[in-house]
Amino acid sequence: MTKAFSKDKWSYLLYTLTHPVDGFYWIRHGDRGSLPIAFILVILFSASFSANRLLAGFVVNDIDPRAVDSLYELLGVIAFYILLCVSNWSVTCLMGGEGRMKDILTAVGYGTMPITIGFIVSTIVSRFVADKEQAFYSIILGVCIAWGVIMIIIGIMQVHNFSVGKTLGTLILTFLAMLIIVFIILLLSNLIGKVYNFIHSVYTEVIFRT
Amino acid sequence: MRKMNKLIRVTALLSAILLLVSGQAATVAKADDVPYDTYNYDYREYIHFTPAAYIPDGLRYGKEFVYNGESIGNFKTPQDMCKSPSGEVLIADTGNNRVVILDSKLKNVVNIITSFDNNGKEDKLNQPYGVCVSEKGNIYIADSKNKRVVVLDPEYNLIQIVSDPKSRSLDAGFVFTPYKVAVDYADRVYVIAQNMFEGIMVFETDGQFTGFFGTISVDISVWEKFWRRIATKEERANQKLFIPTEFTGIDVDPEGFIYATNITSDGIQGVRRLNPSGQDVIKKGQNKNLGGDLQISGLGAYYGPSQFTDVVYRKNGIYSCLDRKRGRIFTYDHEGNLLYIFGGLGTQAGTFQMPVAIEELGDRICVLDATAGTIISFKVTEYGDCINKAVALRFDGDETEAVDIWQRVLELDENNELANTGIGKAYLSGGDYENAMKYLKLGMNREYYSIAFKRYRNEILKNNASWFLSGVAVLIAAAVVFGRIRKKRKGALDND
Repeated sequence: MTKAFSKDKWSYLLYTLTHPVDGFYWIRHGDRGSLPIAFILVILFSASFSANRLLAGFVVNDIDPRAVDSLYELLGVIAFYILLCVSNWSVTCLMGGEGRMKDILTAVGYGTMPITIGFIVSTIVSRFVADKEQAFYSIILGVCIAWGVIMIIIGIMQVHNFSVGKTLGTLILTFLAMLIIVFIILLLSNLIGKVYNFIHSVYTEVIFRT
Repeated sequence: MRKMNKLIRVTALLSAILLLVSGQAATVAKADDVPYDTYNYDYREYIHFTPAAYIPDGLRYGKEFVYNGESIGNFKTPQDMCKSPSGEVLIADTGNNRVVILDSKLKNVVNIITSFDNNGKEDKLNQPYGVCVSEKGNIYIADSKNKRVVVLDPEYNLIQIVSDPKSRSLDAGFVFTPYKVAVDYADRVYVIAQNMFEGIMVFETDGQFTGFFGTISVDISVWEKFWRRIATKEERANQKLFIPTEFTGIDVDPEGFIYATNITSDGIQGVRRLNPSGQDVIKKGQNKNLGGDLQISGLGAYYGPSQFTDVVYRKNGIYSCLDRKRGRIFTYDHEGNLLYIFGGLGTQAGTFQMPVAIEELGDRICVLDATAGTIISFKVTEYGDCINKAVALRFDGDETEAVDIWQRVLELDENNELANTGIGKAYLSGGDYENAMKYLKLGMNREYYSIAFKRYRNEILKNNASWFLSGVAVLIAAAVVFGRIRKKRKGALDND
């Protein structure tokens, strides 16, 4: 097994970008992917997302800079990433997917790469477009996001060795699973809060009685 | 030591007094000086507080007026106020069954109309609800309980009575109860009648009812349609009806366009500008809103969208709408930008209990309060005057001349987006694109910023064209040379 940050892993990332079907297959079956690189890509994705919202030129940017908090957005992106991967894993486990948790995390992480590139390039471009050239900006962004989404879908398909139809089916189930997980988390935190309140009030009662 | 202390105390006191005095000498009306909030909404729909554009300037009770040596007594639920072309002010004193005509200074009573001569018989007014004066000076009175509109000439002689409209489009049991009335330059009469949801009723010069005008279409969302489809008959009967809203106030501008206010449930458009064929041609500003307050959450009586009850077309495309919900006056320009907001409900001098009508007299704005029976006037401050003037210049197309006025507005209110945009546009037409970009960005005007930016970019490209072109030439040359060297080396290696 090669090191996580070896030159081979970085060049394989670029290979995956241009040959997603092949690339993702060997991430699962040949141990060519790297989990730490995937994590870095997710963090870069979040950073580029915030940067796009904050730094894109005035002509195309309608976002209130006061509403942008990059740390908050990083937490949100990471939470969504983990939620997506966990629910995908729990669904595909039952449906005969071959991918391990590690492979799903890597595939989704690598899949964000085109979107990150899109955000960075379009942010730079946006600072030079004016008056009726906004289409360039949206085309760059749109193409890159489409490419990224397709990569994530191919990645999930390849690491589980699914057909296209089955992948889309599991993705729908994945979103349902995400909703269920969020619901359970909310329920749990609510109940834990109630238990905590109960213990806390018993504690204050005891303190005041003595 | 003690002496020293005293000295310090005295100087402190003196300087405090000085500060107070100088503070009061400032000409800008601060928010504390007026009994209402003065604010505006910025591009992001945040409230930003501004200096007052108009400040209270006294109020008049009915009993203060004297006619034929007697006090005319207080107004009783007056409902309408209008200005004649000669400057007189007519007040429909509904509860007292009379129309009071005051002079333009609101000092003396010119006449009181309680009845008129109808073919030799004395005919009395009964609850006159609305009043207006045509360009020729004819007086139109919406005599609501008598179900007619009375037209009098400037000498108060009867010209005609408009009543009992006949049309197939009217229900059989329809009772014509006119509330508000307006007349255009061709003497067409526009009437807002009770329970008339089809729109404003139009009468020709001869008093013939010709049809409805400016009907507000009801839009039902797909979702509501869906629910209505699956509901049973009984359920449907219990649902609220989808009826269009009624118009509330009406005014005519010199070009013959009708400004009419209506109550909205969503707070998006509370005023319309209707062209002679009845289409709404009003312009909406950047946030596509002409409904008064944008932040309409709150508790109790303060919750909900503004309810415009009257509108006055002022001049240069500026019009003001009176909101009875929170007693505020919203002033828009011809592009639909919200210029300033002032006024409020309350019992202090300068606030309203039940505002019903608004009129502009000279450079003052007057509001009629039905519950208190008072006329409250407001006078313009420097801030309001600057905005009015600058907007007037823009309306006439002299945007560059408005720059100095906008600069003064910025001194009074740093965050005024209209002022920033105005200055930015002037710089743009003056060719100073860098400054234009700066101000247009502050004014959040993306459209013009974009134009300024494009010109700025082209200017930079043009000025540095030689550098760019020589850079490109150098790069090409370098590529060619490197390519040759590489080839030679490769050839040399191959030869070896």
